[in-house]
Amino acid sequence: MKKLLTLLVAFALVMSAFSALAEAFTPAETYDPGARAFDGGEVAVTFSEGESGGQVTTDIYAGEEGKDYTDEKFYTYNTALTAMGGGLDWNPHTWETSDDSIILDYITTGFYAYKLNTAKDGYSVMPEMAAELPVDVTSEYVGQLGVEEGETAKAWRIALNQNAVWENGEKITADNYIYSMQQQLNPKMLNRRADSFYDGDFSIVNAKNYLYAGQVAYTKLGEETVEAAQEAGKDLFIDIHEFWGMAGALDAEGNEAPKYVSITDETLYRDLAVEDEEADEAWVSGKYIFDTYLAPGAQYNSYAGEYMATSAIMSGATWDEVGLKKVDDYTIDIILEKKVEEASFYMPYNMSSNWLVYEPLYEASKKFFDADGAEVATEEEAASVTTDYQTTIEKTMGYGPYKLTYFELDKQFTLERNDTWYGYSDGRHLGQYQTDRIVYTVIAEQATRLLAFLAGELDTVGLQSQDMEKYASSKYISYEPQSFTTKITFNTDYEKLLSHGTNSQVVVVDEFRQAFAFALDREHFATAYTAAGSAGYGMLNYLYTYNPFTGAIYRDSDPAKEALVNTYGVTFGEGKDYATLDEAYEAMTGYDMAKAQALMATAYDKAVDAGIYDGESEVKIDFRVYNADEIYVQMFTYLDTQVQEAVKGSGFDGKLSLNMTVDPDYYETMYSGGADMIFTTWGGAAMAPFGMMAQVYTDAADGSGNQMEVGFDTDKIALTYTVNGEQITESLRNWTIWANNGANELLDSKIGKFGDLTYESRCAFYAKMEEAYLAYYVTTPLYYRNVASLESQKVNFPVDTYLQLVAFGGISYMTYNYDDAGWADYIANNTLEY
Amino acid sequence: MGKYIVKRILLMFLTLFIIITMCFILIKLLPLPAVREMGRDVNLILAKREQMGYNRPLLVQYFLYLKGIVLHWDWGVGEQMYEALSIWSVLTQKLPYTVMVNLYSILMAVPLGLMFGIYAALKKNKWQDHVLSTLVIIFISVPSYVYAFIVQYLFCYRLGWFPLTVESLENAAFFSARMIRSMMPAILSLGFSVVAGLTRYTRAELSEVLTSEFMLLARTKGLTKSQATSRHALRNAMVVILPMIIGEFIGILFGSLIIEKIFAIPGVGSLYINAITVRDYNFFMALTVFYTFIGLASNIAIDISYGLIDPRIRMGSRK
Repeated sequence: MKKLLTLLVAFALVMSAFSALAEAFTPAETYDPGARAFDGGEVAVTFSEGESGGQVTTDIYAGEEGKDYTDEKFYTYNTALTAMGGGLDWNPHTWETSDDSIILDYITTGFYAYKLNTAKDGYSVMPEMAAELPVDVTSEYVGQLGVEEGETAKAWRIALNQNAVWENGEKITADNYIYSMQQQLNPKMLNRRADSFYDGDFSIVNAKNYLYAGQVAYTKLGEETVEAAQEAGKDLFIDIHEFWGMAGALDAEGNEAPKYVSITDETLYRDLAVEDEEADEAWVSGKYIFDTYLAPGAQYNSYAGEYMATSAIMSGATWDEVGLKKVDDYTIDIILEKKVEEASFYMPYNMSSNWLVYEPLYEASKKFFDADGAEVATEEEAASVTTDYQTTIEKTMGYGPYKLTYFELDKQFTLERNDTWYGYSDGRHLGQYQTDRIVYTVIAEQATRLLAFLAGELDTVGLQSQDMEKYASSKYISYEPQSFTTKITFNTDYEKLLSHGTNSQVVVVDEFRQAFAFALDREHFATAYTAAGSAGYGMLNYLYTYNPFTGAIYRDSDPAKEALVNTYGVTFGEGKDYATLDEAYEAMTGYDMAKAQALMATAYDKAVDAGIYDGESEVKIDFRVYNADEIYVQMFTYLDTQVQEAVKGSGFDGKLSLNMTVDPDYYETMYSGGADMIFTTWGGAAMAPFGMMAQVYTDAADGSGNQMEVGFDTDKIALTYTVNGEQITESLRNWTIWANNGANELLDSKIGKFGDLTYESRCAFYAKMEEAYLAYYVTTPLYYRNVASLESQKVNFPVDTYLQLVAFGGISYMTYNYDDAGWADYIANNTLEY
Repeated sequence: MGKYIVKRILLMFLTLFIIITMCFILIKLLPLPAVREMGRDVNLILAKREQMGYNRPLLVQYFLYLKGIVLHWDWGVGEQMYEALSIWSVLTQKLPYTVMVNLYSILMAVPLGLMFGIYAALKKNKWQDHVLSTLVIIFISVPSYVYAFIVQYLFCYRLGWFPLTVESLENAAFFSARMIRSMMPAILSLGFSVVAGLTRYTRAELSEVLTSEFMLLARTKGLTKSQATSRHALRNAMVVILPMIIGEFIGILFGSLIIEKIFAIPGVGSLYINAITVRDYNFFMALTVFYTFIGLASNIAIDISYGLIDPRIRMGSRK
């Protein structure tokens, strides 16, 4: 009997196990979000004539009337850095960060500078190292350096400022510019800033060929098919770091896998993602990856354009073939690969910095190495050349309004008036440069910086969120907008999310992300967790200028406002929420918890119906942040609170959790699809808003480019505009490429070149692209970054409101209420109140 | 003893070599920092890395690395931080600040700690001992950055006795009174916990030794209490205390991340952690070697110190 009972129980257990297995939920292998089409509406297309309606102004503010800027008193400006960025690099050929450029900004002068205009409401252009505005001499180069008959705005003549001298008084001539560019593009040095002269709109003819002379350069296949490339006899390579995640993988002999591997290379590399060394694909070669996955007809052949490349040994232009020519001792010509659009603004804009280096010091700072890394005597016998030019005072030679007089690593640097600078005597800089000395001290701790400011030792101090309660209403506070917008970005690559095994794949449902977006009170977030940030609703913020001649702000334009009110569901017009667009825009908050809850309920139903979620299991969403600083914890806690509120009443209630993971490489993790959500921030290029989407939002949904919205394929979004009664449809990605002045056969033929449109037409097109992107909530803007700071009672700036390109006037227009002696006396006898 | 020291030194270099090898191989197995910059030519960085030999076989890279150090004392240059600057020059520029602040702090703290410890031991279980013990517990329990903020606010900002931050070399020579004055807040902040620690150890050890029978013998021989304490009790107690003091001296090379940050001291406190955070492998390697060497050398120094203080302790003896 006992045996029988035992057998029965065992049988029952086995059966129940089988039934449990039979009922185990397996999420669908794929998820189809459905056809994605966005109506961009009607756009009135108008074309600009000539230079899109503008010439830059050249009138310069000459200072406060009656104020003596040249008295004998001594004025020092004391400021602080939080760090020297791990050691400042003020070599003009290699600097990288904005911290690096601080010293350069003082000790050098660009060809042109942007200065406060006479009305003190915008900027004007002022020739500095150039004697006058650039002159179009394209016609003189027809038949040379790629210039063809009829072309304009490709070759430019720059008359040099003949008063310009180095700190030691030596004249700066055209030869200095030629030598300096030759070093900038030195193939043995591979200077980091070299790409400024070949990798953008300001590409000097043959600069890249000269730099990469004799080196192998890889170019993505892009639109070219594998078949076409093979037929053309090109050697093909796979980027196995990106396509197969093989960065750091080794072959059997311990050699590291290169980024690009030939499709015929059979060297096997160990893929550490496969635990079992004997398993399939534990060892893979370039040939295997190509034959199995990327060859014509293979599963991932459509990704070949992104992950495959051709290689070529750069032809190696001679220096004579590079588009920089000396005309005479004080004139140079620059010949560019592409025509400069709106040249009256963009030529000075592109030449607002300088590449000059002082030859004797530059040569003395070089070190030469052979291929084995051993030091050799001359550059001729060297395989590589390094330099520590401009890393110490002794190796520094400037030519700007100030000279570096003291530098102590991670502690302090001091700049003092460079008396040899032409600007102090040329009569063109009236009302500028009252400051005699500038001292930058490194103070990493905010509390110390604030105390130093309150003690009168610093003349400016940045504020953090915890300081705002006390100083937000101070009359000495100033707000400087930054071009950066911080957003929450979702991974929507279903397969990658599925591989996380946490049910986070539910975020692919559009309504889920939309619910998240409506659950956020951006005003509260910006106020509570940032020093001076403001609620952010769009991808571009208030620093982006779409018309460089008028300074018109993109975010203030009607199309850009309309894009956002549409995104956040605020209506305007007769019988709508608000009467006018401006009223609707003012009222927009993007925060509607009831709507978020309704959307979350819909998202739950959709996820279950689509078979991607069983409706019962726990959903864990992995939110990656850079570090565990208190501010990140607070931000995360807020997001978690809001999402828990949003899921109330939906099937996710009690099942969904947001988990914070500290990951210093969170961007890279997101690019590889390893994160579910992250904070993302883009900014920069504030004078060129129309290129932003193509560069960072639509360039590669697979994580190989800058786009962080992994899985959001903008090739699959059909965006339709009505132009002159005709509907024109292209993918969102192609529209953005067109807006970035890329060629598009359909759009060029139906509409014309984007760059030929008026700024208003460009703005109208672009705003709809932004709206189309935001409509899928793969990224939801959170706040626009601003910097708040207190300015000392010692100094004044000519304007109170931040102005594009000139800020509050900068150091050149800063004036003083006290000289050094007067200030010392004042702070000794008074308590500073801010 | 001599043989023992030579043997320990040779073993130290062998250990150092093994650690360097392991660290180099492990660090090189990690992927290089990702190259992704909007609007920049990524190939330029890749070409530079190729030029710098990053794609060579690991053993070749290791050989060249060791060759550079041994033949040219070349530890490489910064790649992710202090770019193009020699690592050795960065270290030698930053180390003096760390050493000076810590050295002054210990020079101030050791006599005070010993003095308070001896006093507390002599006044054991009296009110003076209770007061000192309470203060010791407070100063040991509260982290030094708390004193640092209090010292800075009170002595620097409110009373104006000291500058808020350490002076730069532009304003004051390294050994000048002005520089030392500017370092005082940091010295005090670092010194409190050392004083407290030494007081505690000295009191504990001395209290025990003072009750030993040989102390009674010393007194019966006719020595005064202070003579017996300084000549006999303290020397015995130092067997435990001196290694602690030596350890503090060795620690001066490490720097204090937070204290250096608060008083704007350009020392080495944050160097190691920054090298790891930004993945500057050359800096990481050089600092690993440096600190490993210091650690190994300090162990030898402490071991040898036992024999110097107490001749009864024989180093390397088989008996």
